[in-house]
Parts: sequence; C-alpha cells; structure tokens
Amino acid sequence: MQQAIQSAMKIDKDILERYHKNQCTAEESDMVEAWLFSNDSGEVLDLPPSESKDIHKLEIWNDIATVLPHSEQPGQFESISALNPQPLKRKVKMAFWSGAIAASLVTAIFSTVIFQLMKTDLPETALVNIKNTSADEVRHLTSGDYTIAVGTNTSARIDNVTGVVDLNGSMLICPKKDVELSFRGSTRKITFIKGQTYILLKGKDGKDKILIVDKKNLMDLPPVLQKQITHEFNI
Amino acid sequence: MGKDGKEYLVETNALDSGKLTPEQDGALLNAEVMDRSVIVKGGFYYEMDRKAGKLVKYQIKGEELTTADTLPLDRFSIENSFWAGGDTLLLTGLKTPDFAQAAYALLTTGNMKLIASGNMEIPRPFGRFETMSIGFVKMQGKKLLVGYTYHQQLSPSEYTTSDTIYVTSLSYPQMKSVKTDRDHRSTYPGGMNTIQSSSFADEHGDFYFMACPGIALGNRPQLPTAILKIGRGTDQPDKNYFFNLSLALHNHAYGMWYLGNGQAIVRSERKDLFKGLDDHYSTAHFEFYLVDVLTQKVIKKLDFPLDKGTRRECVLVEGNIAYISINSSTDGNYVWEYNIKAGTLKKGLQMAGNTDYILRIDRLR
Repeated sequence: MQQAIQSAMKIDKDILERYHKNQCTAEESDMVEAWLFSNDSGEVLDLPPSESKDIHKLEIWNDIATVLPHSEQPGQFESISALNPQPLKRKVKMAFWSGAIAASLVTAIFSTVIFQLMKTDLPETALVNIKNTSADEVRHLTSGDYTIAVGTNTSARIDNVTGVVDLNGSMLICPKKDVELSFRGSTRKITFIKGQTYILLKGKDGKDKILIVDKKNLMDLPPVLQKQITHEFNI
Repeated sequence: MGKDGKEYLVETNALDSGKLTPEQDGALLNAEVMDRSVIVKGGFYYEMDRKAGKLVKYQIKGEELTTADTLPLDRFSIENSFWAGGDTLLLTGLKTPDFAQAAYALLTTGNMKLIASGNMEIPRPFGRFETMSIGFVKMQGKKLLVGYTYHQQLSPSEYTTSDTIYVTSLSYPQMKSVKTDRDHRSTYPGGMNTIQSSSFADEHGDFYFMACPGIALGNRPQLPTAILKIGRGTDQPDKNYFFNLSLALHNHAYGMWYLGNGQAIVRSERKDLFKGLDDHYSTAHFEFYLVDVLTQKVIKKLDFPLDKGTRRECVLVEGNIAYISINSSTDGNYVWEYNIKAGTLKKGLQMAGNTDYILRIDRLR
C-alpha cells in the first residue's frame, strides 16, 4: 500500500511543509510517513537542488520527537541507527504513533534527542541533533562518537561531516576519538581529545561567545559559571 | 595536577630545594569528589563533598588520602572559611541549588561537631540579580563583616555582576544584620578564599581586600581592580582609600598575599596574552607584583616566568620567606623563594614528572 502511494505521488517541499503543520490529508500523511520510514534513496523526491532530503527527514523526526511522551527512564535516550534499519523502523514507528496521540492531548514540550544516520556511506551518526527542553533535568546520552550530557534548555547540532557545532545552551562532551570541531559563528577549530570531557557553553545570541573548557579545569572558571555547571551537571 | 588531569597531594618538609614527582611521592586524589577548594590545618584537609552534602576531614596515611571524619552540611556551598579561634571553623556560603541565600556553619574540627548553622541576614538577590558571591568575612570586635555582591546570568556563557560592593555587619553569632554599606568604586569583593586568598589583616588590625571585576571573577571589566581597606574597628570600606591596581598595572588582577610591613604580593593577568576565558587558565600570562598597601604604590614586578592557572593558592609566607609556586609553560613547575628583607629570588623545589599545574601550597602544621 505504501509503495503504491509512493509511486503515485511525489514528495515535494509543499507537502513536507504541510506535514510539518499537520495539514496533510490522511493519504498524504501515509505517503510522507512511508517515505520517512524508508532508507531507499531511489524514491521519488521533488525538492529544489539546494535542499537536502536528509535534513527534511531529520526535521520531521525532530518535530515528531518534540511531542513524544518521554517514556524512557531519566538519563536514557533512544539512539537510532540506519546501519540497523529494522530496529529503526520498529522503534520509531511505535514512538511516532504514541507521539501522534500525545500531540492532541499534551501541550507540554518534552525533552528530546534524535540521532539520525543519513546514508551508509557517511560516517556513523553524521548528524547529532539534540534538544533538551527540560528546565531542570540534564539528559545523558551516548552516540557512536561521543558521550554527551545535555544541559537544561539546550539545543545542539553536531555535523560530523563538516565538523560544525551549533549550540544554544550548555553541554558536556567526551569524544571517543580525537576530533576537530568548529562552532557556528566562529572560524576557530578546536581539537577535542579522546576520553577527555569538555564543558561547552553558549547563549542564543549569535554574537555570544562560545566557552570551551576542559572539565578538569572547572575550578579555574569564574565561580558564577562554576557553580552553575557543578549544580546543573552534578559534578 | 598532571598533564593527564590526575590530581595529587604531596606533603614535604622542604620547599627550598629538591625535586618531587607527584606520581611517586604523592597521594592520588579522587577528582570526582575532591578539588582544590581545600582548607588545611593541623595535619588535616577539609573539603566539601558537594554531591554527598557533607564536609569531609581527610588526612594522608601512607600514600593514601583517607577520610578521618565527616559532618553533614545539607544544601550548602562554601564561599569563605574563617578560623574563629582554636579548632573553631566558620564556613560562610550559599544555600544550594539557588546560590541566593547566604548561610553559615560554625563547627569544631577536632570532633567535627556542628555548633550552629543557619541563614545569615543578608538580602537575597533582587531585581535582575539571581545569585550572589560572598568574597570575605572578617571578625571586627563582636561583629562579623561580610563582603558580597550579586550576579545576573545573561546566557549560559555570560553573566555580569552588580556595580556595587556590599559590606554587611552582622551580630555574631546571631548573624542578624546591623548595618550594610554600599561601595560603588568597584565590584566583586574578595573571592572564594578556599581557592585563592585575596584579603588580609595587617599588624595594625587594618583589613585589606581586593575588588576583582576582571573576567575571571566579576566579569565587569570596565570597573578597576583595586585594593580597599576597612580600618581597624570600623565596619565599612574607608572612602578615602582606593588603591587602583588597574591604573598601575593596566590589567586586572586576582589574588593577594600579605608579606608584612605593608607589603603584599598581587597576581595580575596579561590581557595581551590570553584570548578569553577559554585559554585564561591554560595560557601562561600571570605576573606577580610586589605592592605597598600603605603608600598605594607598586614596588616592583617579581622576576618569574609567566605563570598559568586562573585561580591558585600559590603563595605561602613563612617568616622572612615567601614561597611562590610558578607553573611555567617553558621552565617547568617550581616553588620559588622570595626573601622579603633582601628582596631576592631563588628557585627552590621542583614538582617534576607529569606535573602540569601546582594548584595550591599550604602550611600543613
């Protein structure tokens, strides 16, 4: 059924936008979801050349994730890997439908984390997208490349292909291998050493400087920030 | 602290020469529960275990740091410590998790028993301010003087500090407010004295404290770093005394240690050598200056290699000698001797092996 719908209709920017806004017909929704669950890159997709299907997929997943009831235990996160597509479909589909029900009942925003693996020819977890909208609870998670603690009211996006991080909030990150990252709004590249934990802080404002400090030097930070971090991350 | 991030505690009888290797000669610390904010006296180390909510008394036995005793201190974060005679220790700090209510704990460390604890009658942050810092406590007759200020969080990485130094006189030990003075000449009085000293009383009973608005403490760098004075028997900063260090050194400074006869050492940053808070601790940029607080003059720069580490308890004064630990990026980690009368410097004990920073130096007994 899904295959039939897919072949009969094209997924374009308009339908994706309407899906974001929950304005699709049932048939259109089925089609988008079929596309969403597929890892087949040969499907019909009519987007401008500048737009990435993968990014749209990710954004939809993020939208879905923001309304998911947070069923995991605190500190547990779902990690989705396309290298293992069956669990991906099963887990996400189940979560999606729970989320669809929750969306009509719950207006509160839930903390969310989505790992998205785009293509098998990209490194694992090419894009790590993180959103923690909790005001008082830090989220801990592990991806293929990092162990991360996401601070309260924090969103972050780590693009492992370009090595660019876009952060709004606070996080602790411990890479599993040496990695060089730069930060949106800055040309400076920072080498993060395998096994060391770094404190990253940045505000919403694009002009806000990002602060990167090795956790072992926490006590060298201004006490105001040090107290904020020790309390937030229970260090 | 080693280059691998491991921290060690080393005890020695001699600072004037020799070489110690923390990995061999020291006790490895559990950095998850212990950091450099330590109070040292009588052969014991006292440190707040934040996660467990207790003050822990440690001692080194053999090569191990062992727990001798503990005292529960719930929801308490130490800002300043003050020995109130014998083994009576007054800890002043803030209630967690808000860091907005000034509190105290008075205890005897011999038996680790609490004498009294509670809130201090100091106004909570108001208006746009959310948190506060207590920078010094000073017994003045039957009153306790507390210097503090307030902070506003601007973003996860940015904050600022009120433009005012507050000094409240509290009845002691009732901790009730008697009077509050507001001083607008600088801000961020003192600092956490468990991490670095920034105040002292001289031989005449006059009390001096630094105001530290630089990026590493107050982050209101438009205001000058200065030394202020609270005269003997008075309860507020002397309005006629203001030793403007920023004017003299063209930089902000943090950390001050008294040598006697009006002379003190201050530790000053070099803003031309670091980029920001990111590298403030790892770049060697700190200089040490000898100052005269009586004449409000900088006497001279002490001829050390540039030092690294944003906040460190790095000076220990014993009679005529000031022992000063220096973390150089190029010349290693040494304790230097400054002969106060002769004004001469000599390289002493080397901390070798994997040492990256000497974080503090204390008299143990």
